[in-house]
Amino acid sequence: MYLKELSLINGTSGDESRVRSFIKQKIQDKVDEIWEDRLGNLIAFKKGTKANRKILFAAHMDEVGFMVTNIDEDGTLCFAPVGSVETQVVLGKQVKINDSIPGVIGFKPIHLQEKDQLLRPPKFEELRIYIGAKNKDEALKMVKIGDYVNFVTEYREDGRRASGKAFDDRVGCSVLMDVIDIQKRYENDVYFAFVVQEEVGLRGSAVVVEQVKPDVAIVIEGTIAGDDPGLEKDRWSTHLGEGPAVTFMHSGYVVNQKVFQAILSVAEKHGIPYQFRRRTQGSTDAGRLARTGPGTASGVISVPTRYIHSPVCMIDFDDYANTVRLIEKILEEGEVFAK
Amino acid sequence: MTELIRKLTEAYGPSGRESEVHGLILEELSNYIDGYKFDAVGNLLVWKYGSSGKKILFDAHSDEIGLVVTNITEKGFLRVDAVGGVLPQTFVGHRVRFANTVGVVYVEGETEEERKKNWTNLTLDNMFVDIGAKSYEEAKSKVPIGSFGVYDSYFCEMGDYLVSKAMDDRIGCAVIVELFKRLKSCPNTIIGSFSVQEEVGLVGASVAAYTLVPDVCIAIDVTDSADYPKAFKRHAMVLGKGPAIKVKDKASISNRMIVEKLVELAEASGIPYQMEVLAFGGTNAAALQRTRAGVASATVSIPTRYVHSPSEMVCKDDVENTVRLLIEYAMKGV
Repeated sequence: MYLKELSLINGTSGDESRVRSFIKQKIQDKVDEIWEDRLGNLIAFKKGTKANRKILFAAHMDEVGFMVTNIDEDGTLCFAPVGSVETQVVLGKQVKINDSIPGVIGFKPIHLQEKDQLLRPPKFEELRIYIGAKNKDEALKMVKIGDYVNFVTEYREDGRRASGKAFDDRVGCSVLMDVIDIQKRYENDVYFAFVVQEEVGLRGSAVVVEQVKPDVAIVIEGTIAGDDPGLEKDRWSTHLGEGPAVTFMHSGYVVNQKVFQAILSVAEKHGIPYQFRRRTQGSTDAGRLARTGPGTASGVISVPTRYIHSPVCMIDFDDYANTVRLIEKILEEGEVFAK
Repeated sequence: MTELIRKLTEAYGPSGRESEVHGLILEELSNYIDGYKFDAVGNLLVWKYGSSGKKILFDAHSDEIGLVVTNITEKGFLRVDAVGGVLPQTFVGHRVRFANTVGVVYVEGETEEERKKNWTNLTLDNMFVDIGAKSYEEAKSKVPIGSFGVYDSYFCEMGDYLVSKAMDDRIGCAVIVELFKRLKSCPNTIIGSFSVQEEVGLVGASVAAYTLVPDVCIAIDVTDSADYPKAFKRHAMVLGKGPAIKVKDKASISNRMIVEKLVELAEASGIPYQMEVLAFGGTNAAALQRTRAGVASATVSIPTRYVHSPSEMVCKDDVENTVRLLIEYAMKGV
């Protein structure tokens, strides 16, 4: 499991190079071929023993974050989200600019807030990052406009759960790296795509189909849990500990029925626990893979993840292990997709 | 043709679950096509060869909007999310049909105040579906999570008008089926694309033109008809004045050459037509035109009242004239 290392690397959309180097270094000796494409996707290939079909697995390397948009006279930084992050989760958080400069996102303390504004989330326009610069000139020596900003979050393992930043979708990357580590050869050709810029609109995956021409694609994600005590159970999306989540539909795409059924039947056959992803909001690269070139029958399997798109996410180790196992069995069964 | 429209509109085919519709279409067309295939995302493509070397693709989407089961309560009631652009209001007190079960859709509310609030701010999040199950287990066995449902509505004729669920876009499917049936010795190769998942975001049409590489694409779809009390006043389309040749909607601008050709052909053969500018919405033409290096694309619409409701209404004459116009285009358009 590479989740700890992956979580601690900063790699907002468009700035995935550190994540890519790490993954490449770890997997390059375990695959038959590996290349980086022009958009920055890292694609690895493992030849099959019969090689009549191609299966593609994809996980995105990027995480949501921010970018410095302006520097005020007082040396504080204006910033904007990269990918969807709401201001509620950023107040008072520690961040790192350009992978090196520490900063803090400030907010008005409760004592100075108007009573009727207590529940109102601020706009990004009202927030600044403090980096300890006295004025604009001093700030300019440390940062520049266009620098990326990431949350600083310790990675922890407590009992059966891990918490840290960027599990969406470093957990998917880690799962695929573990699958590569199994070092088995399967009947079908297997491609692993670690793609860029998912969070800003499924961009990297748009050029993968052309390079791989897969028969089937499965996207591995860290998906919304929403198993919140404040929500009734029948409004949850997934629940930690109940197994990998299988998607039937999400925003912009109804998962190919054959792929969906095939994933379920492999899980049932091998007694791997699974759950459905029970809300349809949000989208994944599966929608893009289905829509590009000649089209690809695509599915999605996710590790349920609490609090995604916030400084701290949480997963369950059993869900993680069962996701790896489910993918391994899907690869072993192979021809299940031919039906 | 009325019987064909009845069959196609009453068929079950929410986005991603179009096989029943495709089956009916293939049955109808078996004697009228030279070949067919299903592509990687499930679009049904049919074709009839011509000798000119030119290929025209006519597209209609085979899916319809609906609901999908996301959760089941302990007592056996279903929670649902929308499949496509569903107005929750159109489902309240109405029935939803799953593959083999029917359910009633209604609204929650534990107090008078909450009930009132929920009815005014209606969302699927304060609604549920009752399939007459008495427990979680019973509901799960009948309608598992991930089951797709459509309006449980029936087809009927009202004088010159036809009413049903899913006119959007089975009426387009019916037009293309009829086109293939009536087409005799056409110089151009004609492709019919009965594409999937239009309602969730033009999924099928994004790839439908990729494999067969047509020279021109025409999407056949419904459009708003602004001829009922206090209808959208910036729209000109009405029932009974013929097919609407789309100039523009929110997602695409029809290729000008195609638009001019359609107008010219309609004038020459005395087929009534109307021009369409739709302030909202979009059709598969938006996706088709972006295939490979680009394909000249346009939309021909059938004006329809009450789109995205269980009772979408079209005019028989408009349907007939759409078929006539498209036959002209198939023969002489390129």
